Formats: sequence, C-alpha cells, structure tokens
Amino acid sequence: MSARGPADTVPHIPTLSGERYDSVLDLEQLRKAHVPMHTVRTDLTADGNTVAALAMLQMWRAPLFAGFPITPSTKWLETIAAHLSTSQRGLRRLKLLEAEHAVADYMAGAAGACRDLIVSTATSSVGLDHMTETTRSLGASGLGNIVLVNVYRSTANYPLCIEGDPSDALAHRDDGFIQLACRGKQQIYDTMIQAPCLSMQHDVLTPVMPGYYGIKDSHRNARLTVEPDAEIHAFQDRWIKPCPLPGLINGDTAMGNCVTSKHFQGFKHDQKQRILRVFDWMPRIAADFERTFGRPGLEFFDLAGWPDEGDVDLAVVTMGPDFGTFEWLREEWAAQAGMKVAGLAIRLLNPLPRAALRARVERAKVVLVVNQAHHSGRGHLTLDVADAIAGLERPPILVSAFCGMGGADVSQPTWEAMLEQGALAHRGLPYADGRIYHEGTAL
Amino acid sequence: MSSYKEVAQRVSCFRPGSTLCPGCMESVALQNTGRVTDNGIKTVLAIGTSCAEVSSLAFPNVVAWGRGDSAPDDFARSFGIIHNVFESAPTVAEGVRDVGDLLTEAGALRKPLQVLSVSGDGGALVIGLRALLHSIYRRSNITIMVLVNEFFANTGFQYSVSATPFSDTSTTPAGNASPGNLQKPMDYLHLCIAAGADLVAQVSPAHGKLFINTIEKGLATPGTAVIFVPAPCISGWKFEDGKTLDLALLGARCGVFPTFVWERGKGGVVKDCGATPADRPAVEEFLGMQRRFSHLVQKDRITGELGPRPGRERELIAFKEWVQENVERLHSLCALK
Repeated sequence: MSARGPADTVPHIPTLSGERYDSVLDLEQLRKAHVPMHTVRTDLTADGNTVAALAMLQMWRAPLFAGFPITPSTKWLETIAAHLSTSQRGLRRLKLLEAEHAVADYMAGAAGACRDLIVSTATSSVGLDHMTETTRSLGASGLGNIVLVNVYRSTANYPLCIEGDPSDALAHRDDGFIQLACRGKQQIYDTMIQAPCLSMQHDVLTPVMPGYYGIKDSHRNARLTVEPDAEIHAFQDRWIKPCPLPGLINGDTAMGNCVTSKHFQGFKHDQKQRILRVFDWMPRIAADFERTFGRPGLEFFDLAGWPDEGDVDLAVVTMGPDFGTFEWLREEWAAQAGMKVAGLAIRLLNPLPRAALRARVERAKVVLVVNQAHHSGRGHLTLDVADAIAGLERPPILVSAFCGMGGADVSQPTWEAMLEQGALAHRGLPYADGRIYHEGTAL
Repeated sequence: MSSYKEVAQRVSCFRPGSTLCPGCMESVALQNTGRVTDNGIKTVLAIGTSCAEVSSLAFPNVVAWGRGDSAPDDFARSFGIIHNVFESAPTVAEGVRDVGDLLTEAGALRKPLQVLSVSGDGGALVIGLRALLHSIYRRSNITIMVLVNEFFANTGFQYSVSATPFSDTSTTPAGNASPGNLQKPMDYLHLCIAAGADLVAQVSPAHGKLFINTIEKGLATPGTAVIFVPAPCISGWKFEDGKTLDLALLGARCGVFPTFVWERGKGGVVKDCGATPADRPAVEEFLGMQRRFSHLVQKDRITGELGPRPGRERELIAFKEWVQENVERLHSLCALK
C-alpha cells in the first residue's frame, strides 16, 4: 500500500478484453438528463441533413457529437449546433475539430471511453477520404457505438464537384463499417433510429455509416413523421444492451494493439464474422421497427415490380433516389416494350447481401446495373452483381450503365436510354455495355 | 508535490514486458510517469504509434501496461490504454476526457479521471503537429507527453524536425558531401506556449525529482499540459550501454535540450543549464559520446581531448552557435506570462 490513500475497492468482472467495473457508471443518470426534442408524434417538413441530425438528437445515449463542416453534410453539423444553442441543449455537447481526420480520431477516444454511449458525426467525399486512416481502424475496432453519417458526394477534387454521387461510400466499403444507403427523408430518419440497434449488437460491434445522396436528399425538403423521443428510447432499449466489453473508463483494458501477421489473420476473421451477423439481425430489428412505428424497417433492398412468382425479363439494380424515377416510369415503359420489368435499390451496401441479391436476380433474363459512381471497370455495383450470380447454371445477361455522376439528374430519357440497352440484350441484339448516359444520350 | 521516495514506492502502470531497447530512456520515462499516476485517480492513456507503443502493445507479446499482476480491486488503479494512429494521441485523449467530463456532469461517473497522451516526436511534431497544436488550442484538460528521441526511431531512425543539427540520420546521412542534418530543430516549446498550453516543460527523467514533480503538476493543471521528454536513443544515437542518464543530464546541462518549465501566468525557468558557454559543460563532451556525431568530433589519440574532425571545424562552430541561440531562446521564453 502506498501513501496514495485508501483503496477504492469496486467489484469487477473478467471479460475477453480486460476487466469491467460496472458500478462506476450509472447511465440512468444520463437518460434522466435527456431533454426531449419531441414528446408527441409530429409531421414536419425537413431536408435530409436536418432529419438525420434530429434522429441523433432524440437518442439519450448520444449526447456527444463531433464535426468538421464539408458540403453537403454541413447542415447536419449546423442543425446539431443550432439545437445545442437553445434551451433543449441539456447535457449534449458538440465538439468542433480542426479536420475530418481529427474527428475520426476523437471518435475513437470518445467511443472507446464508454462503449454504451453513441458518438456521431457527418461527413462527405474528401472529408471521408481524409478520415480514412482512422476509419479503417474504427471499422475493425469493435466500437459499434460510432455513427458516421456519410452524405454522398463525388470524389475527389479534380474536378471538384460538390453534388452527390455515391463514389465516396463505394470507395469506403473496405473501411469495415456497416453501410446503409437511404433515399427519402422518412427513410433517412428511420434508418438513423435503427442503425445503432444493429451496430451495437454484442456479436456485431461494428461502427455504422448511414448514408444518403448529397443535395438530392440532403438539401431537398419533404414531409415526414418523427416519433416522440420516449418511443425511440423504448425501441432502442429493446435492442441495445450494456456492452459486455469494458470501455476505457469502466475497464482495465487495452485497445488498438499491434499484432504480428500470424495473429492478424485471427483479428480479420473475427472482424468479418461480426459484420456478417448483420444479415441475421437486420430483419429482426426491422420487424420490430415496423410493429412499433408502422413503417417499413431496414431492408436489404427497396423493390419495385417483382412478381410473387415467375421470371422477369429485365431486372434493374441500382441505389439512391433516382430509383424513384425508374419506379415512376417502369410500368408504362415495360408495357411499351412488352417486357416484365422489375428493379431494386440496394440499401445494405456493406456487408453486401450477396445471397439475397442472387436469389432476387437469378430468374431474370437480363440484369441492367445502373452505377452512379466513377469506376475504371464496369462499375462497383456491376461487379457486385457479377459476383452474386457467379456459378449460376444459366446466369442472366449483365448490362452495365453509368449515369448521375456528380449528382446529375437521371432523367426519364436517360432511364429509357439505359433500359433500351437491356431490351436489346433481351432480344439477343448487340447492346452497349459500360457506357455513361446523360440526358438520354450515351456519351 | 509528492516526495520522490513516496512516488518510487507506488505501483507503475508501465510494467515489465516491453521490447524497448535496454537502455532506452522512454522506458524510464514511462516507468516514472506510471508511478506518478498511481495517485488515487483512474488513469486513461492514449498512445500514438511510436517506439513506446509498438514495444508495449504488440500482441501476442505481453501487454506491458496495467497495475499489478492481476486486475486491481481498487478502481483507481484500473488502467485503460488506447492506441490509434501516429498523429492522433492528443485528439484521442480529448475524446476520452470529454466523455469523462460529460458523464461526471450527468452524475453518471462518480470517480475522478486523469487522461494522458503519449506520442513520439515524429508523431507529435511532424505528422501530428496539427493535432498537437489544436488539442492545446482547445484547452483540453489532458496531459500530453512527447518522447523526443529526435528520429522516427521505430521505422529506422529517419530525420525528425526535432533532430539536433548535424546529426546523422538515415534520411540525412553524414558523408563526404554532407555533414548530416542541416536543419535547426523546430521551436516546439514556443509553439505550444503560443497555441495556449497552460504548462509547457522540457524535462528528462535524469532530473528525477523535477521530472516527477512536473508530471504531477501537469496532471493537476486544469488546462493542457505539454511535457517534452528528451529521450536518448541507444540504438539511434549510438552510445555506450549504461550511459543513458549521463547523456540526458549532459545534453540538458550543455544546452542542447535544457531543462525548462513554463506555466501560464507565472512564466518559466531554465534549470541546471548556465546562460553562457563558460557556465556549461563543453558540447564536444555530449557529441563525443554518440556515434551519430562521429563525423563531427573526434578524440585526439595523444591528449584524449575531443575536437572537431578535420574539415568539420566550421560545422562545430555553427553547432556551438546554435546551442547558445537555443539557451538564449529558452531564457527569453521564460519571460512570457
């Protein structure tokens, strides 16, 4: 015994990564300190950044926000700041840092300090690129209590384009985050509420990156329904239980060790197993969300036009809000072409639900993959679909197209020009593959 | 301030098992810092990639951190350590500190917390200068320790901005056409003061009591404390086994890295280092102990006296001028409040 004073003896529990001293933290105090944003179900009009920020502000576990502004995610940060300048502030805190890299570093410390709190930020494009050194560490860290909102914007700075395409999200799939793609304000809001329920599952513990298109969704308003904070808490409390692993504050533990290559394999194996558990948890959380709030929960895909039975002639695979234009024109175009046409917009970008994608498109004669991010080959999503259908006895013909890069509108003529290539492939005629379409023209 | 004897009896959170080189000053610094932090307050340490990190947290080697042979029953002795990338230790520490403060304010954490960051000079002053200065600028309540061995040591002794003039590094090698590093070290002490630090110090564990008291003072500082620790590197500086503390004392006393403690509102003090060359040990003595300067000085075979290697007289004069400039600069910093 040193002269430092009497021992402060506290019960502790051994875990796989050190000891946990549960009694030193009483998070019920934090819950009590939460100042609600909404006490009743409310319909409002808002843009995507606002609703993504609002959802985070409604969570009692998320008192700490970090940020550095970058278009088009800036309004997420400004929305947090605006609310924290009012009497609704409560204990919530916003940390402004000097660069995106610092934001990611800060989140590592904050999320590691207490694994039961949610730490969040938002960024875009080169901001996400700047974070990459640390986001790749976070992806492997086991810190499922990190929510990084990715407001999609083209990369990089040559040429600089501030509008939204998912080239940032698709370039960062190897960071190791769970990536959820949204379209529409309601879906953004609902996804934010469910995201930590997924990422903080004890056998997942993988940070989550909800995302939505910059400008098209981040800056345009729509009506949506927001839920009372208390209902969100009740829903999340059903899914988020105290983390079994110690944090830096309530633990005797080490995080972020180096390993030799021999042991590196084991860490990577574990990381992969954890993220693959998303396939099991997502439908269960989604079902509870739908029961609770009466709206669809998280899905692997948004679907349009898929028959309960039978094949389709042409299946469209894409992501993002421009899928709405396809949904709008699908029936009329299909009738004119005399084809059965269906489509899906991918919502779970990482881990990609390969088996579900295969099951969905394997009975299509042609799959038209509409990519919206620059790629030196046939497109990120095209490669995903090619992987999903690999090994099929009679695989569909795969037609690749690009459009909407740099946030360009994907107009009706553009959709029709791309669908026409699918129709040519269906008829066994020569078709264009991998072309870029804009305003109805193949470039 | 605690007595040296009392601190020496505490349980350090830096334990045996690191693979730091025998004779490395970093292990002495971490051992002593680890004892100071056994003060009845829970400690969390954020560590940047560095010799200190790769040598103490490499799985499946022993994790050379934690107090005692098993998890302590005393919560204040429990210990959390997090490694992130080279440059980010202060920022990671800020994240921990802010969560601790928030939980305390909510009444959710009823135990006090002290948060430190440890980086090498490459991590803090080169790749991580932005992070260091901004953490200081935000006045985060953390204690930042920078272990200055003047190299990127764990990647093979490449030049760092804190490198002593004319030192031989793997990216500024001395040769017939080059006297080694031609840059003067970055004035990191002044930078930290200017950025807003509340305590800035340069002190070696060779000055045992002062080192311990400075760490204690840093932990007690309500704002940001930054403590630079000159860390003679036996492998990179190339000196004889057993001379680590001697070299650290000599380096401080001859003016290469004088002991310096500065507090906001009080000013600073340069300790154990005379203001003029006549009041200090000869720099040749410091240079002569290290083979990284063997291109600069040599021992006379007859008299045994150290002097310039033929053809390097101008560089030795320039080195002495820089040392005097260095000492005068620190004395002038003392006047800042």
